Amino acid sequence: MNMSSDRFSITAEEYLAETSALFYLNDAVTQLLEHREEFLQFGIGRYFAEYFTSVKNGNHVLFREFSYVKGTAHNRASFIHIFWKCFRQIGKNRDLLTMMEYTSLLQLLCPDFPAEMVQNTAKIVLMEDAMDCPMSLSDFIYSFQIQFYYEEFLESVLVVYEDLLEGKNPNAVIVPTSTSAETISSEEADTQEGVESSVLLECIEGLCERFKHKHPPLSAIKEVLESSTRGSYYGFLMALAKHEGISQEIGALPNRSDLLIDPEMDQELERLVAQVAISPTSNSSSSAQGLKEPCRKPSPRKSLHQRKRIEMESDGSTEETDSSEN
Amino acid sequence: MAEKRRSGVAADPKSAKAESDEEFLSQAGVGALLRGALLKLVEARPEDPIGFLAEHFTNEASETESSGAGDGGDGDGGRDGDGKYQDAQEEQQLNKALWHLSSAHHSQRSAFNNNIRVAYDLLSQCGSARRVPGGVQGRLYTEMLRCVCSDSGLSETAAAPLLRHLRCHDYEVVSFELFRQAVLTCAAFSEYVRRAQCLYAAVACCPEQPAERELCDAVLNALREALDTSHGPDATRYLEASAKISPAELARAMAKTRGASREQEGPSMDMREFEDAAAALFIARVRVVN
Repeated sequence: MNMSSDRFSITAEEYLAETSALFYLNDAVTQLLEHREEFLQFGIGRYFAEYFTSVKNGNHVLFREFSYVKGTAHNRASFIHIFWKCFRQIGKNRDLLTMMEYTSLLQLLCPDFPAEMVQNTAKIVLMEDAMDCPMSLSDFIYSFQIQFYYEEFLESVLVVYEDLLEGKNPNAVIVPTSTSAETISSEEADTQEGVESSVLLECIEGLCERFKHKHPPLSAIKEVLESSTRGSYYGFLMALAKHEGISQEIGALPNRSDLLIDPEMDQELERLVAQVAISPTSNSSSSAQGLKEPCRKPSPRKSLHQRKRIEMESDGSTEETDSSEN
Repeated sequence: MAEKRRSGVAADPKSAKAESDEEFLSQAGVGALLRGALLKLVEARPEDPIGFLAEHFTNEASETESSGAGDGGDGDGGRDGDGKYQDAQEEQQLNKALWHLSSAHHSQRSAFNNNIRVAYDLLSQCGSARRVPGGVQGRLYTEMLRCVCSDSGLSETAAAPLLRHLRCHDYEVVSFELFRQAVLTCAAFSEYVRRAQCLYAAVACCPEQPAERELCDAVLNALREALDTSHGPDATRYLEASAKISPAELARAMAKTRGASREQEGPSMDMREFEDAAAALFIARVRVVN
């Protein structure tokens, strides 16, 4: 939640508008009215306390409708984080999933999650090519993060980009009789893909002013655009998705190298798996019994270890997805 | 919680309770609850409003729940258990009071004053068995000030001299005005010490080496003079005092001592000593309570 430090010099209304407090209070009351019998037994005060604690902890977006999930920046970040927590295992198993499959996973968490969002994410990962190609979780999730968190901003960038492709600079004063089209075509624009990065950067700087906090940090955008002279829209988005600084700013996902590492959760999982492995044979005090005959049934615990070893042997990068850089 | 929201959306026969939404909300007291929360929020304007609201509602809820439980518990129960219960309750009230105080900076004076009032009321409800009429017990008051100091980052040794000025006997009863003054003094003092630390860092030209004693003395003198501005109405006093410790004025004082003594390597003064000297200037102006 970005907030200007001079929050004491603005009016109360402006302060409230800058926070999403009213959005949540509104939703809390709506939920309360919808399920009043259920919540009344806890007491109203306790209900509000629980509601805001869950908002603070970020698990409030689970199973909620899409309009709520995308309602605030905090909700979006929370949803991305939950998605990662729930389906991290897919990445560990190095499974590749298609667009449709990712859509289904997202809809498990948010029933009316639109397929279009996933489609746009796939366009970033696959650079608008071979759209039915399966993707790795890490490639998908960082692109998804950019697409979902900055949706409105990216839409505006696309409009600007398309204008630039057609040869008009939205920042320039448009004189109907000018021959701006000529200047573009005179440089070998047709042979090269995309637009000039410096021009795009200029336009985006203008956009950022209008979007207040709801855009990636300008320094990161500059860094990305200054690394090449020309680029396509999806190339730009891909670079944003790979930028660790932006991901840190959103704060929903760990760094790429840590994405699949979570010893605590692994331990928990192993413990659960071990329990499952032991319990069918157990009668009274049978943990020893369970250990006596470990080879008889395929132990899921063992396979987990094997899996880990395989993972450690491979280099841990995410190159299996067909996402050529240019 | 979220799952509960999903389940049973439409099937419930709600017609039995045919009250309108507005009736329901006013009966449950939601309006008053939200109004209180919004007022607190706008007053304190916290950086993290969601966390603030979560804590606020949690406090409210445990307040109403504990007051309900307190009514039931008064009747019976062994002496021993009762005493333990009292202690636990006292600590809870103390924590709540501290939380209220921390939710607004003391420069937000009206919000801060409000919070002091809330804290005072909370603490005067404490210890119903040993109830003293009309105020907060001295013991709680002293404990509270200690917590205010340590919560705002003061070390125990730095806070001790101030607390010696402000403390009162355990059996005494503290009036609201004294309570307010004392809390405000503690808050202002911890900020003052923080500023003094910054000042020292500015006087010491590089962070590894201690500052020169002469420069420190010059700055401390300027500080003393500013604090001694004591004539005239408040507004002029403030202006005069702040003029006396303006950066330009401090720089002039420092340049003067530099001019007087030409040699480069004079004796030095460490952070601790500077801080203590600055703190002593402040504490000398705090009236002793007893």
